[in-house]
Amino acid sequence: MKRLVRDEVLLQVLLIGIGLLVALPIIIGFLTSFKTPSDVFNMPPRFLPSEWVLDNYKTAFRATPFGRYLINSFIQSSSIVVAQVTFSILAAYAFAVLEFPGRKVLFFVVLGSLMIPFELVFIPNFIFVTRLGLANTYPGLIVPFLGSAFGVFMLRQFFLTVPKELHDAAKIDGAGNWRYLWQILVPLSRGAIGALSIFAFLGAWNQYLWPLIITDQTDMRTIQIGIRFFMENQESGADWGAIMAGSIIAMAPTMVAFLIAQKQLVKGIAMTGLKG
Amino acid sequence: MSEITYAASGRPPSTVISLRPSRWKKVYPAIEGYLYLAPTLIALSIFIFLPVYNSFILSLNRIAPFGNQKIYVGFDNFARLFADPEYWNSIKVTFLFVLGTVPTGIFLAVLLAIALSYPLRHLSGLHRLMIFVPVVISSAIAGVLFRWLYNPVVGYFNYWISLVGLEGQDWLTSKQWALYAVILATIWKEFGFNVIIALAGVQNIDNSYYDAAKVDGANLWQRIRHITLPLLTPTLFFLLIINVIQNMEAFGQIHVLTEGGPGQATTNLVYSIYFDAFVGTPQRGIASAQAYILALIVIAVSFVQYRGLGKRVHYQ
Repeated sequence: MKRLVRDEVLLQVLLIGIGLLVALPIIIGFLTSFKTPSDVFNMPPRFLPSEWVLDNYKTAFRATPFGRYLINSFIQSSSIVVAQVTFSILAAYAFAVLEFPGRKVLFFVVLGSLMIPFELVFIPNFIFVTRLGLANTYPGLIVPFLGSAFGVFMLRQFFLTVPKELHDAAKIDGAGNWRYLWQILVPLSRGAIGALSIFAFLGAWNQYLWPLIITDQTDMRTIQIGIRFFMENQESGADWGAIMAGSIIAMAPTMVAFLIAQKQLVKGIAMTGLKG
Repeated sequence: MSEITYAASGRPPSTVISLRPSRWKKVYPAIEGYLYLAPTLIALSIFIFLPVYNSFILSLNRIAPFGNQKIYVGFDNFARLFADPEYWNSIKVTFLFVLGTVPTGIFLAVLLAIALSYPLRHLSGLHRLMIFVPVVISSAIAGVLFRWLYNPVVGYFNYWISLVGLEGQDWLTSKQWALYAVILATIWKEFGFNVIIALAGVQNIDNSYYDAAKVDGANLWQRIRHITLPLLTPTLFFLLIINVIQNMEAFGQIHVLTEGGPGQATTNLVYSIYFDAFVGTPQRGIASAQAYILALIVIAVSFVQYRGLGKRVHYQ
């Protein structure tokens, strides 16, 4: 018994140690963002700020259109989430409930899109979106990501678990597919739809390559791109305190999303192996 | 068909005077499925399926340097690539990057997962938070955080290294070290993801195997060697494929940390595509040829996974 207790304590210490080690770069970034410049550039590095200040956050917002980056990212990400979730609900319903010729083939066509790496399509997409005059616009940031095969697949799997009798009962009560879907099936699938929303949000918010190429005007950049240029533009004596403040702001929404949906997220990843 | 409809409606055919108002009602059920699919299918067609074709066309053309004229060159772009030492360098960098990140990343994750399984337990909220947070931040932010750690003058990394008596470096501008520096940041970012999958695999193993082994007097190492690892092979296989694909396509952290440099020490295939297509004079033909080659490799690897997965995934 004693040995078990000792092992348990050891394991807990080990786990906390590993956890801290993994979280350390973020902890350091967080602490740095509250330091005065003399603390930031102290050698040997000072782990805790000698004095906690908010100046870095003020600098980040004053030196760059940080507020604008945040708004851009929120508009881009929420549009992508709404489109992907809505489109996926409709398509998943077709694949899970409706019957029509070609359903199987179309399902494999949709799934097949998961196999195609983004690198293969981003150059033609760039040419197409630019020709439409959508470079440096919100639609330009959004349109390539309206459809989500992953979302369709995930919701279809969930819709398949809903008993058929429910649909039959709704039919008897005179509800057509449209009403059954939105008034019964969607409310029943809140959990799955919520999880999909979080996945879609993380994916959209963290996007890098597409926003990098489709925007070249400062005030259309998303926050990820904005931070990178903020860091790059300060040649010598970079203001690392402000850069870290910006990074903390940029990662805050993803952390919140993670905290809200920890369980589903971890379970979803363990089950599907798809990253957010 | 019409008789059935009439029969179902319970009315004799003669009372139906005009079909007009009900035509939509008859057509609608036949096309309803397609209408529900339309948004997704249109979006995927325009931004994934069509570009797969357009990309191929691009790869067979060269854009004349002045003006926008396309010149058909057949497979010349591909031939040029394979004769180009810079292209072979980006293949080498990609290969080394995958080799540097994947085995180490999986090994560390499996090690932790196994440690957590004696006795079997789940990660508590706090542990999960600490280990998993790097996964939900973007690769760009991960890059920024490590840029700071690797700072040659006041960075933590050089300080830690000096504590054990080693000499600090300007890691990101060193031809010798830059790739390792990017690899380390990548392993860090993906660790939590690998742990979650490995842990799910370990937890899936039925306890009765261990109980039986204990009765037979197997020690801890024997149990890991002869029960955990063999039963974990599907998970390991899955991790391997997912990680290989993911790291073949690494871009954000490379762009933030080194911009493919110094020289071309960290220019992998994706970075090379990005560079040729969007930096300086765009060479989208040759970039598309590279994209095609990379995509074929990625698709081949994911096909292997698809085949393997079919044998292992079953829906309850």
